[in-house]
Amino acid sequence: MVSVLSPDETLNTFQKAPLPPAITISGVSVSYPVGKKYRKTILEDLNLEIEEGEFVVLLGETGCGKSTLLRMILGQERPTTGDISVAGSRVERVDARSGYVPQKYSLFPDRTVLNNLTMGPETSGYHILGRLKPGFRAFRRQVREEAMKQLQHMGLQPTDAAKYPHQLSGGMQQRVAIAQALMMKSRVLLMDEAFSALDPGTRGSLQRLLRTVWTESKPTIVFVTHNTAEALFLGTRLIVLARTSHDEGCGARVALDMKLPESGMSLSRNGKEFLDLVDHIESFSRKSYEMTSPPGETI
Amino acid sequence: MAFHSPFDIQARPNRLFAQALSCLLFVLCVGLYIQTSTKRHHENVEDRVVPNVHQLMGGIHASVLEPAEEDDYIAPDNASKWELFRHSMIWKDTAASGKRFLISLLFLVPAVLLALHIGLFPYFGAGFLRFVLFFDKIVALSLLPILFILFGIDEASKIALIVIGVAPTMILDVTQMVKAVPREQIVKAFTLDANNFDVAYRVIFRQIFPQVINSLRLNLKPMMLFLFAGEMIAASDGLAYRIAIMRRHMGMDVILPYVLWVAFLLYLIDLSLRVLNRRMHPWFQS
Amino acid sequence: MIHSKKSVLGLLCFGLLALCPTVSAVAEVPTFTVGWSVYAGWNPYFYMQKSGILKKWADKYGIAIKVQRFDYAASLDSFVAKNIDACTMTNMEALDMPAAAGVDSTVVIVGDYSNGNDAVLVRNGLTFDKLSTQPVMLVQKTVSEYLLERAMVINNQQAQLAKLRLINTSDSDIVPAFMNNASNQAVVTWKPLVSQILADKGVHSIFDSSKIPGEILDLLVVRSEVLNRPDGSGEKFAKAVNGAWYETMQKLNGSGPSQLQALKISAAASGDSVDSYKEQLKTTYLFADPKTAADFTTGVTLKQKMELVRQFCFKHGLLGKNIKSVDDVAIAYPDGSIQGRKDRVRLRFNPTFMQAAQQGKL
Repeated sequence: MVSVLSPDETLNTFQKAPLPPAITISGVSVSYPVGKKYRKTILEDLNLEIEEGEFVVLLGETGCGKSTLLRMILGQERPTTGDISVAGSRVERVDARSGYVPQKYSLFPDRTVLNNLTMGPETSGYHILGRLKPGFRAFRRQVREEAMKQLQHMGLQPTDAAKYPHQLSGGMQQRVAIAQALMMKSRVLLMDEAFSALDPGTRGSLQRLLRTVWTESKPTIVFVTHNTAEALFLGTRLIVLARTSHDEGCGARVALDMKLPESGMSLSRNGKEFLDLVDHIESFSRKSYEMTSPPGETI
Repeated sequence: MAFHSPFDIQARPNRLFAQALSCLLFVLCVGLYIQTSTKRHHENVEDRVVPNVHQLMGGIHASVLEPAEEDDYIAPDNASKWELFRHSMIWKDTAASGKRFLISLLFLVPAVLLALHIGLFPYFGAGFLRFVLFFDKIVALSLLPILFILFGIDEASKIALIVIGVAPTMILDVTQMVKAVPREQIVKAFTLDANNFDVAYRVIFRQIFPQVINSLRLNLKPMMLFLFAGEMIAASDGLAYRIAIMRRHMGMDVILPYVLWVAFLLYLIDLSLRVLNRRMHPWFQS
Repeated sequence: MIHSKKSVLGLLCFGLLALCPTVSAVAEVPTFTVGWSVYAGWNPYFYMQKSGILKKWADKYGIAIKVQRFDYAASLDSFVAKNIDACTMTNMEALDMPAAAGVDSTVVIVGDYSNGNDAVLVRNGLTFDKLSTQPVMLVQKTVSEYLLERAMVINNQQAQLAKLRLINTSDSDIVPAFMNNASNQAVVTWKPLVSQILADKGVHSIFDSSKIPGEILDLLVVRSEVLNRPDGSGEKFAKAVNGAWYETMQKLNGSGPSQLQALKISAAASGDSVDSYKEQLKTTYLFADPKTAADFTTGVTLKQKMELVRQFCFKHGLLGKNIKSVDDVAIAYPDGSIQGRKDRVRLRFNPTFMQAAQQGKL
C-alpha cells in the first residue's frame, strides 16, 4: 500500500483509538456457470477491511465487478464463496445497517419529498399497524421537523418539500436521496455511481455537498464510480478493481489500494501531481495483466 | 389549396376539418341505418327488424316507463314519472346486472393482492405463478356447465364466471407491474428499515395502484362480456336476459336502446375510474 | 406505383364481369329455399332432400327447391328477414314472429301437433298448487311457457300464474343445469331433452302436450308474397312441397326397407338413433294422411286453439310493443272467417294444397 499521507496526518491516525473495522470482506469470489463448460468469474478472492469513517472509492472499468461488490456489502447479492460482515455481523439480507443511494430510482415516486425523507424513521419506528398507535402523531411531527432541517442542509428550499420527485431535477433528486439515507443515521453509506447520471456542474456541487456531509459525522462511505477525478476529490482510500487477464475464468482482483489525503485532491489544488496520479491510477485498470507492485512514487 | 394526401405522416390537418372528419363515420352509420329502415318500412309498414325512429322512441318509452311483462306492478293512475321509472324494465335489469358486476369487482380485490404477493415474494411466485399461467389459458365460457353444477343457476355461478374469466388476466398483468418496479426501490426500502409487509403495501402497492386501476379499466369489457354470457344462458332478470327475451320475438325496438344503454354505462364507469385515478395519483406519469 | 393501381382495378373489373354469366345462368329456374330445424316433425325435410324425393317433385313442376338447416331461432330470423321463402315453425311462432313483424305468411302444410313432446317435469312430487314456491326453468316466450300456463289453468291454478318465478334457461344448457343440481325442482322443455331428464328416476312428468291436443301445431309457413307470385311459381312451389311431404309421410308410416330407410335418415338429421327417433314420433301426432290435415285445417277446433294461442301471445307482449290490441294481428281461415281486424290479416291458413294432395291432384 502506498501511503500518500503527510507525516502530520499519519501521526493523527495512530493517536486515534482502534475501532473494529466497519466492513470486512474475506475470501469473497463471485462466479456463475455459463452454459455447460465455462464458469464466468466476476470477482476473485477479495480480502478487504474498511475502517470506521473511511471514505472508500471503488474504481474500475465497466463490468469489472465494483457494483457487484457494493451490492454484496448491501446484502442484495450473495458471494459464491467467502463472506462479508458489516458492523460486526454477517450480511445475509438487506437491512437498515447500511444506507443506500443508487444512481436512479432512489426516491419513491408516489410520495412528496417530505414524505420520502420521513419514510425511514417512520417506518423504522412504526410499521403498518403501528401507525395507529397514539404516540405516532407526535413522533411524526418531530420527524418532519428534522426532515425539513435536513432538506435545507442539503441545499433545497422549504417549498421543495411538497413537490413530487418527478418535479425535481436530477441533481435535486440525488440530494434528497442522500438526505433520505442520512435520516436513518446509519454508520455505513453505500453509493452506487450516485453522480454518474448528472451533468458536470451539478456533479461538482453534489461532490462538495457529500464531502461536507462526510466531514460532519464521518460515516463509513463506499462510493462506486468510474470517474477518477471524482474519486480523487472525494475519497480517503482508493481501491481499483481489475482483471489480470481477459480470460473468462479470471475475475477481478484488487489491483490498487491506496490512501489519499483527507482534504481531497483536485486539478486546481494539486496541479500536475493530480494529473500524474490520475494517469497512474488509470494504468492499473488498463494494464490489467501486470499485477506487479506499482512504480514507487513519492509525492 | 394543394392536394393533401391522407397517407402523410407529417400532415397537419386543419382542426375544424379533423373534428368534422371524426363525425363522418357516425353520420354515415346513422344515415345507412335510416336508409335501410325507410326501405324496409316502405315494403312492410310494421317491420320490426330495423325499427324506425318512431318505433325506437316507443321502445325507449317502454323500457323506461313500463314494467317488465312478468312483473305484477300496475301503476296507479296518477303515478309520477319517477315512480314509473322506479318500477320500469330498465331499472330492474340495470339493478340486477349491476349487482352482479359490483360483486365480481369485489372478488377481484383479493386477486390483485395475490398478484402483488406473486410478484414480490419468491415462495408465492413459485407456488402460484405456473398455475395461474395455465389457468389463464382455459376458456372460461367452456367451464360454464361445470359452474352450473357447482353453484346452481343463480347469482353465484354468474359471478364465478366473471371472476374466473377475468381474474387470471388481472393477476398476470399486476404481477408484471410488480416486477417492473425497479429493484433499487425495494432495496432502498429495506435499508430504511422496512419489513416485508411495508415493502409490499407501503412501497410497491402504492406505486402500482394507478396502473392497477388502468388494468381494471381495460378489463371492464371482458367482465361485461362474461356477465352477458351468463345472463343469456340462465337468468330471470338482467340486461342481457332482457335482450335474449326480446330477441325471441324480434323486439329490436327494445334491444337497440338496451345495447346503447350498456355502452353508455360502460363509458361512465370507465370515465369515473379515469377521473378517480387522476385525482388520487397526481404524481403518476403514464 | 400508378401502373400497379391501374392493373389491380383492371383485374377487379375483369373478375366481376367473369362472374356475371354464371349468375344469370342460375336465375333461369325459379329457386325456393325451405328452412328447417331439428325437431321430430321437421327432420323428414332432411330425408326428403337426401332421398331425392324433393328434387323429383321440384323437377315435375319445373322449379328448384333448396333445403337448409338452421337453429330454430335463426330459421325464424331468416324467414322474417326474407332470406328464405318458407320455414317450419309452430303456430305460436308463426303468429308472433313473421305475422307480428308485418310479414304476411300463409300456412301450406299442417304437419303435426305435439302429443306429449312438450312436458312439465318436477322432482319430489311437486304439484301445481305448490309450483309457485319454486323457480321453474324453461325457455321463456316459447311453447314451453305456453304449455306451463295452460297446465296451470287446467289445474285450476290460474290465480297463481302471476306468482310463478321463471328462469329463462337456454335449451342447450337446460338439461345439465337441471339434472346436476337437486335444488332445481321444476323444468319445462321438449323431447328429446325431456327423455334425457327423465333418465333421472327422481323426476317425473306432471303435465304434457297430450293433454292439450292440437294447441301446439307444427307447420310449414310460406311468405304470402312468394306464394302469390304472378308467374305462378309460388303455387308450384307449394304444390311440389306438399307432394314431397305426403310421399315422405307415406314412407315413414309404411313398412319394410323403405320405412326403415326413411326413419334412419330422419333420425340422422338430428344425430339420433332410430329408436330414440321412433320414441319421439310416438308423442307426435303426424297428420300423415292429407285428409286428416285438410280436415283439421278447415275444422272448428283449429280456430278454438288458435284463439287460445293468440290471447297468450298478446298477453305476454309477444306480438310487439306497438300492438295495442290482440285483434291487430289477425288470422284468416279457409272458410273466410277472420280472427281480428279484417284489414290487419297477417297469418293465413291455406288448405288447398293439402286438399289437392288428398285428391291425388298433385
